[in-house]
Amino acid sequence: MLVARIGALQHPVCCIGCRAAAEWIASLGLQDYYRLRDAPPPRAVSVGDYSAWDRPQLQRLYVHRRANGDAEVCVLLEGLRCAACSWLIERALGTMDGVRETSVSVPGKRVSIVWQPHIAPLGAVLAAIAHLGYVPHPLDRQSLSDVAEREQRAAMKRLVVAGLGMMQAMMFAIVLYAGALEGIETSTRDFFRWIGLLVTIPVVFYSARPFFAGAFRELRARRPGMDTPVAFAVALVFVASAVETVRGGAHVYFDSASMFVFLLLGGRYLEMRARHRASDIVDALARLQPAVAQRLGANGVVESVGVHELEVGDCVMVADGATVPADGELISTECRVDESLLSGESTPLLRRLGERLIAGSIVIDGPAQMRVARVGADTTLSSIVRLVARAQQQRPRWARYGDRAAAWFVSGLLLVTTITAAAWLAIDPGRAFPASLAVLVVACPCAFALAVPAALARSLAVLAQRGVLVLTPNAIESLTRANYFVFDKTGTLSERNVEIASSEVTGRLSLEQCLEIAAQLEAGSTHPIATALRAAAGHAEAVRARNLRRVDGNGIEGDVDGRHYRIGREQFAHTADAVDSDLIVLADDEGPLARFELRETLREDAAATIEGLRNAGAGIEILSGDSRVRVAALAGRLGITQFEGRVGPEQKLARLAQLRADGRNVAVVGDGVNDAPALAGADLAVAVGGGAELAKSSADIVLAGDHLAGLIHARYIAQATLRIMRQNLLWSLVYNAASLPLAAIGWIPPWLAVIGMSLSSLAVVVNSLRIKGSGAPGAIAQPTSSSSALRPVPA
Amino acid sequence: MNIVFVLIPLSLVLVSLACWAFFWSVNHAQFDDLDTPALIPLSEEAPQPTAPQPEDEAPQ
Repeated sequence: MLVARIGALQHPVCCIGCRAAAEWIASLGLQDYYRLRDAPPPRAVSVGDYSAWDRPQLQRLYVHRRANGDAEVCVLLEGLRCAACSWLIERALGTMDGVRETSVSVPGKRVSIVWQPHIAPLGAVLAAIAHLGYVPHPLDRQSLSDVAEREQRAAMKRLVVAGLGMMQAMMFAIVLYAGALEGIETSTRDFFRWIGLLVTIPVVFYSARPFFAGAFRELRARRPGMDTPVAFAVALVFVASAVETVRGGAHVYFDSASMFVFLLLGGRYLEMRARHRASDIVDALARLQPAVAQRLGANGVVESVGVHELEVGDCVMVADGATVPADGELISTECRVDESLLSGESTPLLRRLGERLIAGSIVIDGPAQMRVARVGADTTLSSIVRLVARAQQQRPRWARYGDRAAAWFVSGLLLVTTITAAAWLAIDPGRAFPASLAVLVVACPCAFALAVPAALARSLAVLAQRGVLVLTPNAIESLTRANYFVFDKTGTLSERNVEIASSEVTGRLSLEQCLEIAAQLEAGSTHPIATALRAAAGHAEAVRARNLRRVDGNGIEGDVDGRHYRIGREQFAHTADAVDSDLIVLADDEGPLARFELRETLREDAAATIEGLRNAGAGIEILSGDSRVRVAALAGRLGITQFEGRVGPEQKLARLAQLRADGRNVAVVGDGVNDAPALAGADLAVAVGGGAELAKSSADIVLAGDHLAGLIHARYIAQATLRIMRQNLLWSLVYNAASLPLAAIGWIPPWLAVIGMSLSSLAVVVNSLRIKGSGAPGAIAQPTSSSSALRPVPA
Repeated sequence: MNIVFVLIPLSLVLVSLACWAFFWSVNHAQFDDLDTPALIPLSEEAPQPTAPQPEDEAPQ
């Protein structure tokens, strides 16, 4: 068993990489990392070759040169989990010569590094990061000036200005209320009103500007939405109060105006934070398409170059476990590739000399050599990306809840105000202004405008706590409507590895001994079958196998404790004329010892999720790119009767179109690149967290915790949210409808109008807080960030 | 009562000062990452190789 020595203690670790990482961390004196982290880090990977990043051709796209000679790069870090990770990276890089600044953003999963290129080459800096166990992906220069960051900063400033303005305006409003009761000199009163006007001006003209801009856009497009009533309410209350201030009228409403702006901005700020957090995880294609390729020169020398430098006809080396950089054909004898992300095919495929390799697939039994046939936008991967873009344009966009209502609400409000003013001008011109003002204040659609955002912001926050990230505002509504769920198989219902379904021994050795021998033989292999056998053997011992020889596509043979064994396909392991089956056989020279039947590992909560959805009355179907036999086997285990195998991205889209034409609301759950077009074409798209980035970028909802059961939970919360939204809308409409006539006939004094408006808004916000995650069916206790802190060293 | 005519403008000046300070700190990236800096005080001293803490006593 491998152990890492940290001080006087020994910790069990899984692999040499982890041991190296742990001991390196200790040698730097960074053991505090293990106390501070709140999630276990990824396994340390073997450090790759990052020297290609020192090439000026590559750096031009990624590195920003500063005037003083320093260079700056922004790197996306795969495997960055928690604040302790960022502490580790900052400390570890801080000890490197030539590195001036590192600032890690945990929510953005990226680090920006400023370094002195003449002291520390970029390749060495990246290798140091990789050494820690994080996979660095430098991002191109645009990501240094982040749009999301600017949006976040502007929103924060607006919110704080609105908050400060609101507090001031309320303070002066209290003086005015008290003055109205106790008696106040007119000059003092007017002084406080002018001050109130002064502090409200920045709130209306700076903080509320997005609402006015939005209303302007909506009006120009002749589609009044939520911004229109908001902008009207703010403008009306502010203008009315300003007019009252100038002419010394009965009442001013500066406190209401700024409170309204503050509450709305608060809701939008939370919504934006949730959106950013979700889209941070989605960094499409950054990880799928490698930036560096190993080009074979004419004289046989391997040279690391940027992928954009590749040209058709170049020869490229792809190492074991590396990603194929471009489409091309194999020029070495054979290799095995994992295309599960691109096609859904769950087993690695054997490719022989001259056969096609697709960019984005992963070479398993490398290294392989290939000749580049298509690069950049011509690759299969890029065409899938274009398919996604097209499907996204076709997606039906649900009108936002309340949008339709908002249009007639605003026009109705203006109509009633005009009628009131006209009627009072005819009856008693002196009361026309206060009465129409009371109508405007009472009927101010504040509660109405808050009804949806307040509930939405609350439910996004609750869902985010459960690891369900909502990317589009329509997702909540779509989720409650969805009545047909289409699942992808590989990576969604099943994990990307296999397990031993059943095993049978011939009797000469016990099952434990057979597994032990099998694990010894497979010790050095990264093949999924090898992983499954090692997992079944339970514990790793020092490798005793000798003379290991891998026969590609068939199996492995070698000596363990002096005896010769073979493991692999039946015809390889013991006889040449055995039937071709999926069984894995362990044999020695005298004949077979054990047979292992393999099957895909189900995601642990897949069965419970399917069961829960079925109980809720939803239809379930599997569409997969994998072979029909495997899809059928998995569907049988989950009790699903509708399934289809060998379905490509375009057929998936066609099947979805057919389902939707039948009047179903289809939700697609997937994770692979091949699912991305289907996700984009569905009524609701759900991506599972561990999947490809492209799939996530076309999703409405991302299950970040890698728990499928989050879906059932999210459905429950979405239904609760919709219920609360309806209550909020109903309440605000009833309140407005009831108070409007009273205000119009002049029965509501201005102070009561203000209190009513504030209370109705408050009622909506408090009602939204009733959306809670607890009590949902199928709720799975997920490890919170604090409870997972006590896990042992990565093992 | 005349004192309010001094105190209230003074309070407005203070509010604008607070606003300016906040804008300054937002523009200087003080609010971009609210999680990481919370851990910095826990390991104020320079890293030095010492005997590790048993992990089960990790303070959280």
